[in-house]
Amino acid sequence: MTSPEIHAAQRLTPAELQAVNFQRAPLGRRGFDEEQVRAFLGQVEQELVRVLNEKADLENEVGRLRERLAGGGPDAGAIQPEDAHIQAVRILSNAQQTADQYVADAQRYSREIAEEARRGRDEILADARSRATLVLEEAHRQASYAAEQVAPSTEPMSGDERRDLEREIAYLRTFSDVYRTHLRSYLEALLRNVEEWEKSERDSLAGTRAALPRMS
Amino acid sequence: MDAQRLKDNFAQVAQHGDAVALFFYSDLFLRNPRLREMFPVGMSHQRDRLLAALGRIVSQVDDLHNLVPFVQQLGRDHRKYGVEALHYPEVGASLVTTLRYFSGRSWTEELARDWTDAYNLVSKVMLDAAQEDASVHPSWWNGQIVAHERRRFDLAVFRVLPDRPFAFQPGQSVSLEVPARMRMWRYYSMANAPRPDNTLDFHVQLIDGGPVSPVLVRALRVGDWIKLGPPVGTMTFNERSGRDVLLIGGSTGLAPLKAILEQIAALPNPPRVHLFFGARYLDGLYDLDDLQKRAAGMPWLTVIPAVSDQDPGPAAEHGTLPDVVGRFGMWQNHDAYVCGSSGMIDATVDRLLQLGLSQDRIRIDKYADA
Repeated sequence: MTSPEIHAAQRLTPAELQAVNFQRAPLGRRGFDEEQVRAFLGQVEQELVRVLNEKADLENEVGRLRERLAGGGPDAGAIQPEDAHIQAVRILSNAQQTADQYVADAQRYSREIAEEARRGRDEILADARSRATLVLEEAHRQASYAAEQVAPSTEPMSGDERRDLEREIAYLRTFSDVYRTHLRSYLEALLRNVEEWEKSERDSLAGTRAALPRMS
Repeated sequence: MDAQRLKDNFAQVAQHGDAVALFFYSDLFLRNPRLREMFPVGMSHQRDRLLAALGRIVSQVDDLHNLVPFVQQLGRDHRKYGVEALHYPEVGASLVTTLRYFSGRSWTEELARDWTDAYNLVSKVMLDAAQEDASVHPSWWNGQIVAHERRRFDLAVFRVLPDRPFAFQPGQSVSLEVPARMRMWRYYSMANAPRPDNTLDFHVQLIDGGPVSPVLVRALRVGDWIKLGPPVGTMTFNERSGRDVLLIGGSTGLAPLKAILEQIAALPNPPRVHLFFGARYLDGLYDLDDLQKRAAGMPWLTVIPAVSDQDPGPAAEHGTLPDVVGRFGMWQNHDAYVCGSSGMIDATVDRLLQLGLSQDRIRIDKYADA
């Protein structure tokens, strides 16, 4: 199902609620928050399942009561084995629904955390890029300054050419010093960061491995 | 057997939606507690699949030509779950109980007979297919991880060595199960043509909040064992057509296309091949180095990388795959193979049809999100 049209002749089913897709609002038009709409649809779907379940239970109950009245047997008051089985089915179904809910919650939680981590990563990358630009600019500025400071040579043979070369050397030396220092401290910080991540990742994975779901 | 009566009754029962499958499984597990172990903890997807399969079977109950291959595939596919012949009558009993429960007062003796007959027929077709398959293939293969490489923080390429010969067609996929996520089988495509050493390559993109893909990307290690089901899928290479070839892969949708590419490379006279490989960001082109290396040695192969969500500069084309493919010319005389997310596939197929390529020359493989 790809459109939110609901056929008037047909009854709405939980599966349709799950599969419904809304068109995007045209540009410039305001719409509802998509996450909120999805979450609400999820609630409606669960409620619909519950109501349908209860309806089926009641219909069945009515059927059996009718039969019992019609039969009017001597043990009309006693619990039939079939009733006990239906009750057990109902209890197990409720338990399963609770389990499904927990699984769905856990998955949503993990998705949210992962999305947050992804955003964090993008920010760190953007930050690193702008820092790199800053480092380069800073190195350039300092190196230019150093080149300016090269004292005019006292050697009689020196011409403009030689002075230019010395300036160039001073520029490059300072540039590389500054750049290397900045880069080293930045890389060290990043490395510490990565080590922390790896440690926490190892810890969390060790946790999940130890606690494998096991059914009996 | 009255097909219309079955359809009417199922339509009435199916109005209860998820409650039907919920009742069915509870009834089945209460009668046969040991069967619960064959299913995952969370059952929502399982119930959806059951209802979808039942709906399809009932809607085609008078169209055996189309129904039988589907049911045979179901039978073969159930072998890897450990389903055996003795389970079939148990399932049938619970199915009839469920249908009777939800039919309420409209349940009749005739309906009971119709459903029992229909179920016996379907289960016989499934069992026959499963038994025929059992004489040729194991129920599943065990595979050991022999290499695992993280190409990006959320993307891994790994190599598996199955414990027995594993025959497949390039372009096919297989369901995998990891010990850390029992009973949760997910389909992935082989990224290579069959090799003498029997190894298989897989490309996996981590899906936020997914139960299986994060384990495959982050936790799998060399030496670990996984289970593999039988190969499936129909996006295989049409060797007889003789036409030139257009391969279009979005992200890890590249995997089956790479397998087809290897198959083509082994031909004595390979056709011209254009391979479009797309991702949202430049660093999502996780396999571009390898592709370009191959292209350098294969004059008949052109690789065109595309990036949609950032300006890639000279490294790749800028745009979505359908846009970039459309920009590159006329594909009427090509066979096209398309794999990626379902949104990417729909948009790409639409564009190819607009460009004049006929539907019967387009083969697709949609991978499900895991």
